[in-house]
Amino acid sequence: MPDDVAILGVRHHGPGSARLVRRALDALRPSVVLVEGPPEAVDLLGLAAHADMQPPVALLVYDPESPSDAAFYPFASFSPEWVAVRWALAANATVRFIDAPRSARADDDSPAPDAPRPRIDPLEAMAEAAGFSDGEAWWSKLIEERRGDGEPLAVFDAIREVMAALRADSTLPRDADEDVREAFMRRGIRAAIKEGHERIAVVCGAWHGPALTAAARKERSAKADDEVIASRKAVGTARRKMAATWIPWTYGRLASESGYGAGITSPGWYEHLWTSGDRVSERWLAKVARLMREEDLDASPASVIESVRMADTLASLRGRALATLEDLSDATLSTLCHGDDAPMRVIERGLVIGERLGAVPSDAPTVPLQRDLAALQKSLRMKVSADSAVLDLDQRKENDLARSHLLHRLLVLGIEWGKLRPSETRSAGTFRETWTLQWTPELAVRVIEAARWGNTVADAAAARARDRIRTATSLDALAELLRHVLFADLPDVVEPLVRRINDVAAVGADISSLMDAIPVLAQIARYGNVRKTDAELVEPILHGLCVRLCAGLRAACVSLDDDAARAMRRRLDAVHGALATLDRADVREMWHATLPQVGDDAIHGLVAARAWRLLLDADAISADEVAIRLSRALSRGNDPAAASAWIEGLLAGSGAVLVHDDRLLSIVDAWVTGLSTEAFEAIVPVARRTFATFEQPERRMIGERLRRSLPVAGGGAPLDESLDPERVALVHPILRLIFGEPRS
Amino acid sequence: MRETAERQFADELAALARVDDRERPPRWRLSPWAVVTYLMGGSLKDGTVITPKYVGNKRLIEIAVATLATDRALLLLGVPGTAKSWVSEHLAAAISGDSTLMVQGTAGTPEEAIRYGWNYASLLAKGPSREALVPSPVMRGMAEGKIVRVEELTRVPSDVQDTLITILSEKTLPIPELNAEARAVKGFNVIATANDRDKGVNELSSALKRRFNTVVLPVPESMEEEVGIVEQRVAQLGRALEIPAEKPAIEEIRRVVTVFRELREGRTNDGKSKLKSPSGTLSTAEAISVVTSGMALAAHFGDGRLRAGDVASGMIGAIVKDPVQDRIVLHEYLETVVKERDGWKDLYRACKDVL
Repeated sequence: MPDDVAILGVRHHGPGSARLVRRALDALRPSVVLVEGPPEAVDLLGLAAHADMQPPVALLVYDPESPSDAAFYPFASFSPEWVAVRWALAANATVRFIDAPRSARADDDSPAPDAPRPRIDPLEAMAEAAGFSDGEAWWSKLIEERRGDGEPLAVFDAIREVMAALRADSTLPRDADEDVREAFMRRGIRAAIKEGHERIAVVCGAWHGPALTAAARKERSAKADDEVIASRKAVGTARRKMAATWIPWTYGRLASESGYGAGITSPGWYEHLWTSGDRVSERWLAKVARLMREEDLDASPASVIESVRMADTLASLRGRALATLEDLSDATLSTLCHGDDAPMRVIERGLVIGERLGAVPSDAPTVPLQRDLAALQKSLRMKVSADSAVLDLDQRKENDLARSHLLHRLLVLGIEWGKLRPSETRSAGTFRETWTLQWTPELAVRVIEAARWGNTVADAAAARARDRIRTATSLDALAELLRHVLFADLPDVVEPLVRRINDVAAVGADISSLMDAIPVLAQIARYGNVRKTDAELVEPILHGLCVRLCAGLRAACVSLDDDAARAMRRRLDAVHGALATLDRADVREMWHATLPQVGDDAIHGLVAARAWRLLLDADAISADEVAIRLSRALSRGNDPAAASAWIEGLLAGSGAVLVHDDRLLSIVDAWVTGLSTEAFEAIVPVARRTFATFEQPERRMIGERLRRSLPVAGGGAPLDESLDPERVALVHPILRLIFGEPRS
Repeated sequence: MRETAERQFADELAALARVDDRERPPRWRLSPWAVVTYLMGGSLKDGTVITPKYVGNKRLIEIAVATLATDRALLLLGVPGTAKSWVSEHLAAAISGDSTLMVQGTAGTPEEAIRYGWNYASLLAKGPSREALVPSPVMRGMAEGKIVRVEELTRVPSDVQDTLITILSEKTLPIPELNAEARAVKGFNVIATANDRDKGVNELSSALKRRFNTVVLPVPESMEEEVGIVEQRVAQLGRALEIPAEKPAIEEIRRVVTVFRELREGRTNDGKSKLKSPSGTLSTAEAISVVTSGMALAAHFGDGRLRAGDVASGMIGAIVKDPVQDRIVLHEYLETVVKERDGWKDLYRACKDVL
């Protein structure tokens, strides 16, 4: 009995292990393959052989009642478990998952769904101790390079011995579930033996190997294992029915840096190791060169040859028979990239990690996100239809607000079920939103894709937003994202997003994006969000942005053409308005001290005049000063276009203000009446350009205001006492007719 | 004044040669492994201790040595103060036992410095002949199979730089005047150093770049490492220049290094906020010169103690290279970081006074 169960201890996601497992299975030809994996998903194993199944994929095991309680089990084409499952399906052998079911696991309160099994990788630890950069390098040194030494089972025996020694060291951290999981695995093996299988193969993490041998099975009796399992079940929450499905996965999420416990650093490199049988370095560097050429970087075949030689020399200098990823990367950096880091990052992202997205057959069961969305659609009474429909939302109503949040969250997730009507795009003050809803089949795919971000719409949207925070580099994109996040009501994301904005603003010299970000942040600071802390968080950052803005504003306003000046004027207005709503006198003072810097003659009139105007509105300067600036800018020697820009900057868009603001009106009026006749004639076309932009009623009201406030003197010449009132009365009606004055 | 590397460390080189039983490339004095050990330091089987010549990442030195072993030319890039010339000198000493074959690159470096010149008296007397030809260090290196160093390659005018192309790719140097050519013996190679961030450099042509493997030497990784380097060099310079000032307080050095590091890396040391980086390089070498000139100021015009005011002007001079952009950067830095930091008020005020 002892030798009929082959224990194949592997490195999760190790191509070397995978290759060895395949050879071992070919040699053993077992009738049953037992794999360390979630037993809930055993019905789904058949799909692994489906033609549409493209790794990387993950098994998702979740509680249908509360989808956020879920675990992912990712597989790549080079995962030994995947290889074992595929081998068994192709050989018509029985295949089973024998790990503990999730309901019996203690880590029910596991922090994030994407960190399902935070395990130590003992092989990785040993590689480190042996001075290798990663476990695969060590593995390939110890095992791969001895390829052809036959007998893979002997290697597995050796690995088991190493692990037994490691397990004897009680100082190593243990998984809290280890006991119960190994009890389950032993029970699975016993069941297979009882069924009469003669050749049994077990594929499990190398660490568990020693606990599953015949000796271990003898030492820990079936009864003892049953007791361990029973005790866990008593302690654990009531047995729940778990559901499972396949979902597409990405190499990025497989990489350990994304928080996945058993992750690996370089999925793309592993896939390369798995798929290319020989000349690994040459093929890899050829891939690197092709990627560089796609990115329009210079990569000549001569350089590829040099880097292959370089990698081989480095490997031998470092005492290795074959070049590892480390050697190849060093060779690429110094030969192909000329020491430049930037192309290396492209290679890292595109090749070392790889950007592959897996695919699952359409007959795989649904994912939790789909269910959550369906439930929300039902509870919010939103009809899913392929026809386009218009939805008007009044955000003061609770139901409508929730609908708006849902639609905005879906937008964050890239699921464009609803489109916001552009004309009615919500501004800060309004509460109406108009959406066009239309469901298309592609959206279902988007939902599945988005499922990797989370199991409820809210969770997924927050996770997606967090990811975009990490990847976005421009301030514009971040400010835009912030707006979305506010409308989508994702309060937890606001803080990291605002911090990121601060970081990006610190290095991005682009003043205009700074100016775009400030109003959005000011809105948060002013009105807060759901939580009060937002305002406290935003204020110092807003302050920092203002300091940067004030330091760079003048430089950003020099040499603008007409279009750029118009955009800058709008930004000045927006920033000024935003700062005015803040209860921060110091920021306002700084801003007021900065504005005069952009008000001189070297700056485009639109911007310069607007700066003075804003200062005047804020009572920061006297009307006289503005009057002096105005007449200087409009003095006769000046270019008429520049002069007209100045008037426009001072008055544009504020015809109504001119009606109600005495000071501004009197400045303009004093200037016009102070002009000599020739000067006035010269200025008329220029002034007309601005005044023509005012609405007709506004112009009429300005005229009436002028007449009222400036009684008779409005005509200009003083009354001549020598005129005979009676004779004047005779011509008066005619004059009235000519000048269009209404009958009194 | 100063011994060449191969003389100064003759004992270590000899000890390495004794224990080194690995394969050596043609005409190398040591195996690649021994060269790496010579640069990085360590202790040998026979107990000899090798002092580290380069403090930093071993991978870089491995790449450099592997480059030379594959018969490719090596280009060491980095800002001033990253030990480029130091590394190149020691590599040449360890590989060829001779670090003196060197061309110093300047804006006025002529073609003759890389190819060959003529002894005009002899040329007039005898006409063009081998005897009248004056070989350059490069030509000598080719004949003897040794490593040749070209310092500050990017300062050399572009057309002169490109004379290296034939030498590096064909390993020959044509002499049309004699209808002959000089062929390189195995073991010949070139190590060039260059500074790619400074202004006033001649970018290498792509053709030339492709003939080099490039290794970028980074600035010191940790704060402590850099403070240590500055302190050590300042002490040496202070003795050499006989500045009668007290040894500068480590706090003041730390402050200068902090400012340089923060601006260079574009974030504060605690990692909490990001900063803009100025256009200058802000190398360790510049930090050293800021502290030494501050010491001179303190000694001759102050009370002999290095204070914030003494370093402020030197520091601003090092940071503000572009009068518009860098001034904004510095202004932002002063307002957002220096002003808020505990105990830095004096530096803030001193900088504001100078600005």
